[in-house]
Amino acid sequence: MLQFTEWLSQTSFSLAIQTHEWVIPTVQSIHIAAIGVVLASIFMIDLRVLGLAGRDQSLLETTGRFGPWLSGALCILLTTGVLMVLGEPARELLAFSFWLKMFLVAFGTLVAAAFQMALRRNEPHWEISITKRATTKLLAVVTLLIWVFIVILGRLIAYDHVWGSWSHAPKA
Amino acid sequence: MDIAGILKSLESTSIATRIRESLLLFPMLESFHVIGLTMVFGTIAIIDLRLLGIASTHRPFTRIANDVLKWTWAAFVLTVITGALMFTTNAGVYFHNSYFRAKMLLLLLAGINMLVFELTAGRTVERWDKDPSAPLSGKAVAAISILLWIGVIFLGRWIGFTTTRAQFKEEPTDINIEDILPK
Repeated sequence: MLQFTEWLSQTSFSLAIQTHEWVIPTVQSIHIAAIGVVLASIFMIDLRVLGLAGRDQSLLETTGRFGPWLSGALCILLTTGVLMVLGEPARELLAFSFWLKMFLVAFGTLVAAAFQMALRRNEPHWEISITKRATTKLLAVVTLLIWVFIVILGRLIAYDHVWGSWSHAPKA
Repeated sequence: MDIAGILKSLESTSIATRIRESLLLFPMLESFHVIGLTMVFGTIAIIDLRLLGIASTHRPFTRIANDVLKWTWAAFVLTVITGALMFTTNAGVYFHNSYFRAKMLLLLLAGINMLVFELTAGRTVERWDKDPSAPLSGKAVAAISILLWIGVIFLGRWIGFTTTRAQFKEEPTDINIEDILPK
């Protein structure tokens, strides 16, 4: 991985990002704005599952309202994330925070996609019965906490040394 | 006490010292600042997009505001507390940072923008509550709001790149490279 990051950092695209100082903070700012869309979308869907908001809407209507914004923002996060990796390969790819974050992002996205598909596939009354189940409410809280932890891990990439020997990122 | 004195005494409070000396406290404050501000931005965007007639157009405006705004304020409080704590660790540097000042100005404008809404479209909300979008004044406030908050996010990130985090040093060095380099 170390050799790969060294090779990547010498590619012309990576060098272009490195030599233009404004690129990284700009890409990070767009990344943060997109996190806002993801967190708020997940939050509103979870509130609906918990019965704390949007009770005049069905669950399917709620995911229909926020789902496209959620997946759109996730695409922006992926794009800006890739740009950050290209701009600073060693800082990202050697960081423990980065890989734990990627694992949780994949997990969180799969859960959200599976939930949306199950909602679409089942009869309308199904959502009424599942929102009454304690496991569904627990799932809503756990997924929200996972996304919050993902944001913390994102910030910890800049402080990866807090993981001690688990981190291989160069000290900034 | 003059402003320099106030800033100095903020930096020397025990809580500021505690944060500077800790490995994890500052990153955690930053993380929860990001969580708070992204929630502020995301939930305000829900309101603004409704006013503009872009999303949730079939739901009455007041119902959405009722669902969302309490969380916006809760997130805003989290952002202010974590931001204020980070400020104390290096008050002098942040206070003189132009991006920090510009960010505070945009936050003030966002507040004024909200007041403008209350005094214009907000007053006649019963009349357009079920309409797919707000009257022109409401749309203008919503568009300005989204732009201001995106500006706040960008300026916030730039503060991080133009200030060095104050860190506890056991052996203070005489020369700080940051002071020699051109700003």
